[in-house]
Amino acid sequence: MGIRLHVWGERACFTRPEMKVERVSYDVMTPSAARGILEAIHWKPAIRWQVDRIHVLKPVRFQSIRRNEVGTKASVANAASAMKRGTTEGLGILVDENRQQRAALVLIDVAYVIEARFSLTAKAGLEDTPAKHISMFNRRAELGQCFHRPCLGTREFPAEFALIPEGAPLPPCELPPDKRDDDLGWMLHDIDFANNRNESRFFRAMMNGGVIDVPPFDAVEVAR
Amino acid sequence: MTILQALDRYYHRLDDVVAPGWSREKFGWCIILDRQGEPVLDQDLRDLSGKNPKPKLYVVPAAVKRTVGVAPNFLWDKSAYVLGRTAGENKRTAQEHAAFVAFHMARLRGQNDEGLVALRLFLEKWTPARFDAAPFRPEMLDANIMFRLEGDTVYLHERPAARALVEAKPEDGKKENVFCLITGEPSAIARLHPTIKGVEGAQTAGAALVSFNLDAFASLGKEQGENAPTSEMAAFRYGAALNHLLTRDGPNRIRRPIGDATVVFWADAGNAKAAAAADGWFGAALAGDITDADEARKLREELEKVAKGRPLAELRPGIEDGTRFHVLGLSPNAARLSVRFWLSDDLDAFARRLAAHHSDLKLEPAPEGWGAAPSVNRLLVRSIALQGEFKNIPPLLAGEVMRAVLSGGRYPQSLLAATIIRLRAGDDPLSGWHVAVIRAVLTRDHRLRFQKEDVPVSLAREEPNKAYQLGRLFAVLEAAQRMALGKTNTTIRDRYFGAASATPAGVFPLLLRGVQNHLGKLRKDGKGGWIEREIEEILDKLSLDLPRALPLAEQGRFAVGYYHQRKERFKGRPEEAASSEAAEKGDDE
Repeated sequence: MGIRLHVWGERACFTRPEMKVERVSYDVMTPSAARGILEAIHWKPAIRWQVDRIHVLKPVRFQSIRRNEVGTKASVANAASAMKRGTTEGLGILVDENRQQRAALVLIDVAYVIEARFSLTAKAGLEDTPAKHISMFNRRAELGQCFHRPCLGTREFPAEFALIPEGAPLPPCELPPDKRDDDLGWMLHDIDFANNRNESRFFRAMMNGGVIDVPPFDAVEVAR
Repeated sequence: MTILQALDRYYHRLDDVVAPGWSREKFGWCIILDRQGEPVLDQDLRDLSGKNPKPKLYVVPAAVKRTVGVAPNFLWDKSAYVLGRTAGENKRTAQEHAAFVAFHMARLRGQNDEGLVALRLFLEKWTPARFDAAPFRPEMLDANIMFRLEGDTVYLHERPAARALVEAKPEDGKKENVFCLITGEPSAIARLHPTIKGVEGAQTAGAALVSFNLDAFASLGKEQGENAPTSEMAAFRYGAALNHLLTRDGPNRIRRPIGDATVVFWADAGNAKAAAAADGWFGAALAGDITDADEARKLREELEKVAKGRPLAELRPGIEDGTRFHVLGLSPNAARLSVRFWLSDDLDAFARRLAAHHSDLKLEPAPEGWGAAPSVNRLLVRSIALQGEFKNIPPLLAGEVMRAVLSGGRYPQSLLAATIIRLRAGDDPLSGWHVAVIRAVLTRDHRLRFQKEDVPVSLAREEPNKAYQLGRLFAVLEAAQRMALGKTNTTIRDRYFGAASATPAGVFPLLLRGVQNHLGKLRKDGKGGWIEREIEEILDKLSLDLPRALPLAEQGRFAVGYYHQRKERFKGRPEEAASSEAAEKGDDE
């Protein structure tokens, strides 16, 4: 059961792992970012999204921005001891003392079509049928409903979305003809959360005619 | 292709690059030891050809990555480590020297090569106080120092026994093979990535392109290099390639940073010759600021042909058709480097965009000191930098302008704003640089359909745009004042240029009233009939209701119109233009 979702936004940052500190975005949306958008609209433990194809509709354009951020994380150990002590003393992070200025090379004016399907997981009960979930997704996407605001890579770049009904044509692709075929190098497919190993899985992203075919997560093309 | 992949590919094309385990470092001195480990002589390794001695680069066992800890290098280091002495005061010196000695005692144990034995004996006997006697000299302090055995032709680290030690890396525990995101092959993971040296404004010891130096930067419970699985070999290769590109005064680097970004570029051509030809052309076209008139004319003609669609390979023998080209701009951020821009495309595509950039900038008559194809830096320093200094170019804006030039996209709108602000602050619009930039922003916006109207290259009397005609009118009014009164301390431009371009309806009636006095005087002297004719002609094009306020883009057109009209007066009479401009400059002083 497949769905097609048109997503777009003013800015996007699909951060590359090797340049995640001074962020540099991938050229196009990653499958895991696409999955995140779908899950924001409809997800239940009974289903698992699989992105099949990503259509790139707009030319790849970058912009550099620089922001003040914080260099430390809230510590779990400190929080635990604070709970024991019953006070919040020493829990805070002072931004002035932990300033980190970070630059980011982000995409501007992006639009994609996500083609995806889902499969039922072991958690699916008797009442879970593919037909039920697909109509739930379609209804929610049509009405613009979501569990949380879907985003383009990072939370500060919200995504707009619209369902493309079955049989309807795809929005036009504005990529110049000589930019529609490209080898985008190794790209993050998704993260394998099994066994608490949190391993990143990569695949060779090739754009053919403005479309990137995404192999299934367990396919041989996905490096592990 | 990703940045790291492209750099990895470039490494394979290099032939004079150092092998893994070695690196190129700056050296000042070599201590020559006899077989008993007595220092007998010092050798000055510096480049003494210039006025001041300069340290030279030598290939030595790879430098360790020092952050805050004490970590000695193998067979060489700075004087604090090797000899326990520095020029300044440093509490850690003794500790550093002790670490150097201990490290070498451990690594050199059981070695019977006479060079390595001599070094061991030297370190055993050494006391920092020994430095005060010959052959040591105060200049050696804080420089890097290496060794040589007396009577030997090679340095100590180049002896076969030493080489074997360097290449047999110490075992530091078993490493798991993981997927490498550069090569795609499973291999041992790099925990720390190589330091990159030579980016302007970064730490002198080098900064890292890939680093995870604070815990907020790590994800999913991973540490350091695990966050971005990269093999040690690939990390070494991209580091070596980037360091090679960043060599100061090298052919792959733009000499002066654009804003705060140090820019390197390289071609991905089939052979070294074609790559060098491509690199050479791009370097000259983007940032050459050619002064030689013949070269300048040649480049201008080439750009014009490129704009018409001719491939570069036809114009410049040596360049291969379809050469892939990469441009990388790196900005410093303390111990890290950030990517300001990264563009990768056919060389021809870059050439076409450069040609488009220069045709957007085209202005007649050309601004003073324009040359063939001014670099982005020169363009910005003349148009938006305070006091005309390179350090006053806003770094973010410079990066965005460079990106627009190389990607063919819109120029940042803040460029237009910054230029007009400079004009209002009193920069001379007649230098032409501001007007060229304004015209470029507006023309490109028109070409990319963000603006309805185009901007003329040279004086267009029939131009329907009101702001343009108002600019012309302002220029004529100024000429009338000048002809009537001669030199004055404050001209109407000094007083009204900003207001006239922003709020014409508030200023022009006043100016038109004022000009009657000037015209009256001129009529009495029997001069300036052309001024009255020009004013009439321009007023014909303007309807009676003048715009109350002009938006930024229109203010830009105003400046263009002003420039065209002022320059028109002297068209075909360069001597007069020169003398008039000289006189005006005299006024300012």
